[in-house]
Amino acid sequence: MGKKIKAGLSGNAVQYVTRNQALKRLQLKLSDFRRLCILKGVSPREPKKKTKGRNKTYYHTKDINFLAHEPLLNQFRDLHAYEKKIKKAKAKKNRDLAGRLIFRKPSYRLDHLVKERYPSFTDALRDLDDPLTLTHLFAGLPAERRHGLPADALAQARRLSLEWQAYIGRTHALRKVFASVKGFYFQAEVLGQTVTWLVPHQLAQVLPDDVDYKVMLTFLEFYRTLLQFVNFKLYHMLGLRYPPLLDPHLEAAAADLAALVQSLGPPAAATSPRPTPPTAHSSHPLPAAAHPVVVKPLRASQPAQLPLSNGVVAGGDENVHGDGDVDAGMDEGSDEAGSLDSGESGSSSSAEDEKRHAAAGASLDTGGAADDGAGGLQQAASQPGTAMIPSISANAEPHHEAEDEEEGEAGICGRLFRGLVFFVGREVPQEQLLLVIRSFGGTAAWDGPGSPLAESDESITHQVVDRPVQSHKFMSREYVQPQWVLDSANFRVWASTALYAPGRTPPPHLSPFASTDEEDYVPDYLVAMRKLQEASKAAQRGSAAGAAEARFLREAEEAAQAEDGQQDPAALAERAYAAELAQEAQVQDHTQAGESGDEEEVEADVQPEQPKTAAEARAAKVAQAAREAADMESTMLPRKKRKMYKGLQERRSAKRANVAALQAKARQLAAPLS
Amino acid sequence: MKRRVPSGAAKAAIEPIPEDSDAALDTGSLKLSSSDSEVSSYPSDEVASDISFESSEEEVPDAPVPEAAAAAAAASDQDELDRAVLDYVVASQQVAESSASPEEARTAAAQPSPRADSDAEQEGDTSDEERPQRNTVGDVPLQWYRDEDHIGYDREGQKLIREVQKKDRLDALIQRNDDESAWRTLYDEYNDEELTLSKEELQMVQRIREGQFPHIEVNPYEPEAEWYSKDREIHPLSGAPEPKRRFVPSKWEEKRIVKLVRALRKGWIKRDRTPKMDEAPAYMLWQDDGMVADRPSSGLAYVPAPKPQLPGHDESFNPPKEFLLSEEEAAARRMQAEENGDPAPWMPASFDALRRVPLYSDFIKERFERCLDLYLAPRARRMRLHIPSPEALLPQLPKPRDLQPFPTTILLKFLGHTGKVRSVAPDHSGQWLASGGDDGLLRVWEVRSGRCMRSWDLQAPIHCVAWCPNPSLRLLSAASASRLVLVPSGTGTQEVERGAAEALEEACSQSALAASDESRPMCSWQRLLQHEGAAELVHLHPVRQIAWHGRGDYFASVAPTGNTQAVLVHQLSKGATQNPFQRNRGRVTNVLFHPVRPFLFVATQNSIRIYDLARQALANRLLGGSGVIASMAVHPSGDHVIVGSADKRLAWYDMDLSTKPYRALHYHSAALRSVAFHPTYPLFASASDDATVHIFHGMVYQDLLTNPLIVPVKILRGHRQHEHEGVLSCSFHPQQPWIFAAGADGEIALFGN
Repeated sequence: MGKKIKAGLSGNAVQYVTRNQALKRLQLKLSDFRRLCILKGVSPREPKKKTKGRNKTYYHTKDINFLAHEPLLNQFRDLHAYEKKIKKAKAKKNRDLAGRLIFRKPSYRLDHLVKERYPSFTDALRDLDDPLTLTHLFAGLPAERRHGLPADALAQARRLSLEWQAYIGRTHALRKVFASVKGFYFQAEVLGQTVTWLVPHQLAQVLPDDVDYKVMLTFLEFYRTLLQFVNFKLYHMLGLRYPPLLDPHLEAAAADLAALVQSLGPPAAATSPRPTPPTAHSSHPLPAAAHPVVVKPLRASQPAQLPLSNGVVAGGDENVHGDGDVDAGMDEGSDEAGSLDSGESGSSSSAEDEKRHAAAGASLDTGGAADDGAGGLQQAASQPGTAMIPSISANAEPHHEAEDEEEGEAGICGRLFRGLVFFVGREVPQEQLLLVIRSFGGTAAWDGPGSPLAESDESITHQVVDRPVQSHKFMSREYVQPQWVLDSANFRVWASTALYAPGRTPPPHLSPFASTDEEDYVPDYLVAMRKLQEASKAAQRGSAAGAAEARFLREAEEAAQAEDGQQDPAALAERAYAAELAQEAQVQDHTQAGESGDEEEVEADVQPEQPKTAAEARAAKVAQAAREAADMESTMLPRKKRKMYKGLQERRSAKRANVAALQAKARQLAAPLS
Repeated sequence: MKRRVPSGAAKAAIEPIPEDSDAALDTGSLKLSSSDSEVSSYPSDEVASDISFESSEEEVPDAPVPEAAAAAAAASDQDELDRAVLDYVVASQQVAESSASPEEARTAAAQPSPRADSDAEQEGDTSDEERPQRNTVGDVPLQWYRDEDHIGYDREGQKLIREVQKKDRLDALIQRNDDESAWRTLYDEYNDEELTLSKEELQMVQRIREGQFPHIEVNPYEPEAEWYSKDREIHPLSGAPEPKRRFVPSKWEEKRIVKLVRALRKGWIKRDRTPKMDEAPAYMLWQDDGMVADRPSSGLAYVPAPKPQLPGHDESFNPPKEFLLSEEEAAARRMQAEENGDPAPWMPASFDALRRVPLYSDFIKERFERCLDLYLAPRARRMRLHIPSPEALLPQLPKPRDLQPFPTTILLKFLGHTGKVRSVAPDHSGQWLASGGDDGLLRVWEVRSGRCMRSWDLQAPIHCVAWCPNPSLRLLSAASASRLVLVPSGTGTQEVERGAAEALEEACSQSALAASDESRPMCSWQRLLQHEGAAELVHLHPVRQIAWHGRGDYFASVAPTGNTQAVLVHQLSKGATQNPFQRNRGRVTNVLFHPVRPFLFVATQNSIRIYDLARQALANRLLGGSGVIASMAVHPSGDHVIVGSADKRLAWYDMDLSTKPYRALHYHSAALRSVAFHPTYPLFASASDDATVHIFHGMVYQDLLTNPLIVPVKILRGHRQHEHEGVLSCSFHPQQPWIFAAGADGEIALFGN
């Protein structure tokens, strides 16, 4: 007879403990335990056998031991004791002592937790969605005592989110943006990881009372530390100083983002068509002592794409223009790098400042060179109703050599708005638009401190406004609604500005996150934009091969307006092919629709006049046979798989019904117009 | 510091003031003369010493002017008084000159105010320093210099030449007579200066002389605040003398100070209250270059939180119009969510401009819920199957077209029954088909033509028809009510027909002989008079099923309600009936003979018992499912059984394998009525109340290790449902891959390939 096995000595009974057991083991209050769990990233587990009861929360024993060895635990205990001292002093009306104690309150750090939870940088990037969303939320909240929102934490959240935005804008990492009812969704690709975050609309939030802000602040506490280190690493990889030094004047004017971007200097792939003229603020040089701390030159392992030193305001901007300017810019950059490496003497930095100002002045003088380029662009842009294709315009060509190293998606995104200068109106969500414009390679100006250009500047090509009537209209630029910027960025093609003119209802704003399966519903505008995309791609290929651009332009126009009567044989062939495809799709649709009775009814409702030909009947028969065969085959499935199969079928048919309903609705909406 | 004004050095001649002098001086009779040596009746050194004594008595280092005045007032002696007056006048003049300008001093004196007084007092404090003495000889008898040209030395050590007194006496007299203010001019011998008293100063001197306060604004009779009174106060003031501790330095304060000093020295108290850095600086935390590390330090696998679903077109601020919901749609969606217990569904909203998008009020709440999910929701790594399409789940089976032949199309319909056709059975040659139904007619059809050859009216619904497998008899059996009818089918030759009739007759006579022994027979064999040559076996209970043994001699009848006599086995040749089972476990629904071995399958409602008739023992027991077993069929090899049951399930039993089904197939949407194996082709079929017949390819391999291959090949739909009943019976053609199906709609269909 084998040894008798006692219950509760192995297996799930010892592997998992309930929450109350964990509290006893750790000698913690529930609130402290929760706080620790949040910081350490410990979450409950679902044991196979709930030995202590069904409705309890279970933690893994290893997790609890892991918590028990956390040095933070002792720090919390010490802090607790310290707080008792403060309480005592306050109770005894020893205000002096209380004040002193509060002032000397020991602090703790969470960086070891960041490293522990995210052993590699990639891990941290993967988990960045929630931190960014929460940080962006708190960045816009008011510090309020009633809910215990501390001002410094919120200020740091704001700074961190701005630093992140500045990084994204500089590296052209943004891929998708979506203005939803909830807020702005952004999706960026950072070091190969997709990071998505949500920024609420810039309106005063009403703080609900049924929310435990302590929990959110605990999360924020960890996220702040995490983002701080993530930003440090990202900036370090660009060879930038972290934290960036901000222009105190801009900071005082609450133009934080402008200050930040200014402090980062221009991106490596400088894309502004015209140097940023020094504003009134930039005449105040940064304190000399602020400069010396500079990250060492990049190692070989780091990407070699952005070898710029920090603090250069005008130097990098120039390499877009003339040859001489490029040389000067490069020389200056190298000089500066040398001086920064050599030492931290105040004289060198002041000399550097002077040099910078001189360079800025010089670049201001050469600003006229860019004007004709901008003028050409404006001409291209001012053709009403046509879609603009970014890389067709000849004046963009000189810029190509500078950044051909950026390939693929990043290159496409970074080049999209190159050569365009946007003026963002006051009523437009500025921060979000600036992020989009910058990360897609455009230059942005705005109404406020720190703006590189004034509203009346001639080089502005697009004015982003969200008011129906303009007090003064510049004839030399396009007026678009902010949605134009978002849609163009999402589709990687300049949409028609006429559709987005101020005062009119723009075309629907489509989600770039919606799945693009063939079975999904495809809105009409998506089809139009895809055509435009194709045309633009074709045009790009054509221009690369040196073919005539006019043909493609015409084609694009045709795609946009859906006109007929083209004589081009290639176009004819293409159209024939498209028609075939459409026919095929229709047949397919029909067979799919025949699969379920409901859908058939829907189809019948929509198109009652469609004749039933013999071929169709035959096709229906074949489809029926196929469906029957599938049905029969499904009878041979084991029960579990059969249920899964049935479920999948149901889901698919529900989805198709949904798509069919949407299509019917769209057709119905379109009917009275036509 | 002692007063160093040698006021006694000034010689003052006190005379009555003439009437013609200022009106302000009417009361006073002061007469001052300066630098009159004869008038000075007091030795100056005596005066000086006297004054110095006086001032040293005062104890206060910088004696203010009023105190001097008070001292003067207190002096009883007139001379002393005069000296004090002079002293005062000199001091006050010094005060006046030390202030910024004489005019100011004058106005200050002209408009005396408490403020000015206090100012004067303060000035008086510093008068010695403000207006330094010209002379530096100090407190020496001035007579030492009386004969000298100089009165003393200045700060540089230069001699101060006497200038004022050097004048001739006569000149001085003339000047005195000419000068109107000579009478109020004093001579300061120490500094060799002449001082002229102003009107106010004269008044002051006058007041001092009268023993009054020098300043007119001083009111010695201020209304008294009564600190002590006879009235009883709520908060009485203590009249106790000040305690000593008020005057002694505090011991505790000293201790406290010592503590503070120590804390400061040791750095416990930090004096620099510079605000703390709001955050510690960041540093390079990750030195790896994109390498993904191994397990986290807790030793447990990290389960990342699931990412929230990304928004679709319907969350856009300006979605395509077809996504917007009408009011009815919105209400319907809301109601559906309510019914399902889901959270409130998303309602798309459209705004024609970005500026019109309002605040999303649930933003903070949603983030909070996400936070809660992150730390309160149990995390588990779930392996999710990624199924590209539902078709990927389907098994890899041979295509039906490769498994032909099997019945696919309807060939014939046998029409004639007026009620439901309960049972259908082809004969062993495949030329004839017998059928019986609720109309009580037993019919024989010719298969090829579909013509009804013959029919017998049995006057009660027929539940089962079966051919006797003995080809020499061509005997047909049918179960109708509690009778089992045996008729010569009339399909053979006349000899065969006669032979069958004779066999039946003999069986009946033998049965009659045997029955005479028994008191109450289970079954009586009788001639059926209305049909020629027919016989009937009258049971005690309604008979539902007939099963013939392969040789055609034995047959079994099933009367489900018969309880202990549910299964009876009859022998045709002897006309005998026996009850093999004294006791049945459950309600017997079906029996079958094994095609090759002496086994009897007895299906009760939920299991199948297999009895070895030779050994008279239970050989095996097959477990059924949840439904009532409706029908069963044995594979020609005898090792496989299919069972159709009312729970819409067809179970394939491999008797060598297990007592549980090898495959249980669930494909009918209604209860199964009948199942059948094809005697030669690898086919089997099931008929169900959903009015379909499913044909399967069921290949059984000789190799015991290979499982049977079951492939659904065809669904036959030739019947209609009638009163919730569909196909009631199905049976394969003995030679062809055809199947007969009898339906509740009164039709018999023949499906062929």
